[in-house]
Amino acid sequence: MLKRALAIITLLIIGYWLAQGLAGVPFGEDRMLVGQYYLDHVKEQTGAVNAVTAVVVNYRGFDTLGEVTVLFIASTGVGALLWRRKKERTAKTEGSIVLTTGTRLLVPFVMLFGAYIFIHGHLTPGGGFPGGATIATAFLLLYMAFIVYEIPHKAFEKVEGAVGMTYVIVGLIGLAIGGYFLYDWIWQDWQWGAENIGRLFSGGFIPVIYTIIGLKVGTELSGIIDNMVKEEVSE
Amino acid sequence: MNGQYASLLIALPLISAFFVPLIKGAGKKAVKYYLVLITALQTGIAAWVFQQVYTSGKPIIVMAGAWRPPVGINLYIGHFAALFVFIVALVSFLMAVFSVRAIQVEPIDKYAMLFLLLMLGATGMIATGDIFNLFVFMEITAISAYALTAYNKTGEAAEASLKYIVLGGIGSSFFLIGIALIYGSLGTLNMAQIAQLAGGMNATVAQVGLALIVFGLAVEAELFPLNAWAPDAYQAAPHPITAMFSAFVVKAGIYAMARLLYLMQAVGSWHSVLKLLVVLATLTVIVAELAALRQKNVKRMIAYSSIAQIGLIALAFALGTQSGVDAAVFHMVNHAIVKGMLFLAVGYVAMSLGGAELENFRGLGKRMPLMAFGISVGAVATVGIPLFNIFWSKIRIILATLDVGYTWAAVLVLTASVVEAVYYFRLLHVIWFQGEGTKTDENIAIGLMVLFLATLVIVIGIYPDYAWNIAQKAGADIFNVADYIKNVPLMGVGA
Repeated sequence: MLKRALAIITLLIIGYWLAQGLAGVPFGEDRMLVGQYYLDHVKEQTGAVNAVTAVVVNYRGFDTLGEVTVLFIASTGVGALLWRRKKERTAKTEGSIVLTTGTRLLVPFVMLFGAYIFIHGHLTPGGGFPGGATIATAFLLLYMAFIVYEIPHKAFEKVEGAVGMTYVIVGLIGLAIGGYFLYDWIWQDWQWGAENIGRLFSGGFIPVIYTIIGLKVGTELSGIIDNMVKEEVSE
Repeated sequence: MNGQYASLLIALPLISAFFVPLIKGAGKKAVKYYLVLITALQTGIAAWVFQQVYTSGKPIIVMAGAWRPPVGINLYIGHFAALFVFIVALVSFLMAVFSVRAIQVEPIDKYAMLFLLLMLGATGMIATGDIFNLFVFMEITAISAYALTAYNKTGEAAEASLKYIVLGGIGSSFFLIGIALIYGSLGTLNMAQIAQLAGGMNATVAQVGLALIVFGLAVEAELFPLNAWAPDAYQAAPHPITAMFSAFVVKAGIYAMARLLYLMQAVGSWHSVLKLLVVLATLTVIVAELAALRQKNVKRMIAYSSIAQIGLIALAFALGTQSGVDAAVFHMVNHAIVKGMLFLAVGYVAMSLGGAELENFRGLGKRMPLMAFGISVGAVATVGIPLFNIFWSKIRIILATLDVGYTWAAVLVLTASVVEAVYYFRLLHVIWFQGEGTKTDENIAIGLMVLFLATLVIVIGIYPDYAWNIAQKAGADIFNVADYIKNVPLMGVGA
């Protein structure tokens, strides 16, 4: 009781203090130093219609590379901590026929939609992370509906590593061609898709990077699910 | 060569970490030697960058994607970053060599990836010039550290990692809220532009934002109320990882804290945040030294001692003067060398004798003279005996503290040093004057590394001028914000 009361009082004090700080932030006023620049120049400089993806992949691509790495670490970490010499699925009850049939029908659509999201990252809301998560959802469905389903690990691990390397290689090609790491050579040097803004084949290297991220996120999250639903079996 | 190639410091560890799944079929040995090779390459690049920066005297500004800051993200590899990126790479290389012997627990491929990404995270934290990018790199460092802490898969390790995860998660959220406040108030994330605009910032917002950032980073930097995870994590983590934690992961956190603090010098409420930090730092030193006094496990004891040294660094950074910052940087360098060596030697002993309990160290002087020598040099240096490197940096920290007028802090820290001497000399007594034993074989590679680090300790101890010069340049990089702003080629967005 005393503990709880103290905790509440402390939280109130912290909340008040934060509110004091927030009160000093001018909400609703024009505070967009850098933001305005992005909005004004996004089309001519990156070829993307979706300003958010242009900022995330192009202007601040370094952060996205970092976020992809964070996810990679999470999946690797889970893999390292749950590593056992022999692991198997130990689910006991098969899903009902409605569930399994429904899954069979749904999975291709979910995957298709996931791919749609990441391919259209420069045009519509979304991008590599939601697209990849959607694809992982398809695998989650398979795991939940079938007691023996397993993703092809070897292939998934290799894809995960290979697409991650491709991301860095795209950046390094930028370093070789344009002199800067993560330089958008497809747009800046080749002007590829310059008359095509707003259509699928445009946006410089954003669709390329988002495809990479989509595949990476999809395989990584599926790998995490796989690691977590399996249990050790004694030989 | 083009300065932009310094971005390889980030690209190389990343691409190599992603490459590991493709070669894991080649066997355990191959993965371990691959790790050694990559860290050696990274050390080479870092040495090139170091040489570039220190001969030209100009920082290397890496602009990702060719976008000029503040629109894009830039890396700022000035004197400080060049020095510490080199230290990070070098320590990682030594620990990769150590890992060949020390890591027998599976899965080795995942270990190699996490190891490389820990190195990457620390490098990025030190090099970045963008406050949100700093957060991303901090997450990379922290999350790989969580996973590596629990890597040994013992109950103890899982508990330590859980504590670390919970505290680290709370800390990062504070940090993120702090960033949001600063962004909300200034409209930019670039450090140089923040420094430029800081003067006109609302004093309350600045105070709340800065305090949140200091609290958030205090988890990584192991300052007093938020460092409870550290001793457990140090004890439970694999031996090479412990050395990396102490030698550079903490340093990256404390550097980030210092960098952000000094960038916002112009803020009205700056001195009240500094005072908070002085109190936290002094408490860190005292609590950690007193806790170390009672430890029976040598690895844990040195972990506490490491925390205490970090407290000293934080104290020096919190003084707000040029001499304090220089002394702090000098101490960071010295401490990285000494603690790297201590954890290496203690880790090797614990590995060969099955545990780091004090009993195992009885008669170590006769059984493993080389390791015992390394531990002794490290212990004597940490206490701050003249002719060893830490003596110089400690005395400069004390002098800088007295200069500012924090006599109470200086007295408390000095008293804590006496406590430190007590437990280190107790350890030395156990090693050299107790127990019997016959000489056992010591690994040559590890022996050479210990000798190399011990030589560094003594050389810097006898000729401190060269290292002090470097530290002064690196310190100026942090303290002199006007130069920092001038060096970043900001485009005139909104200014």
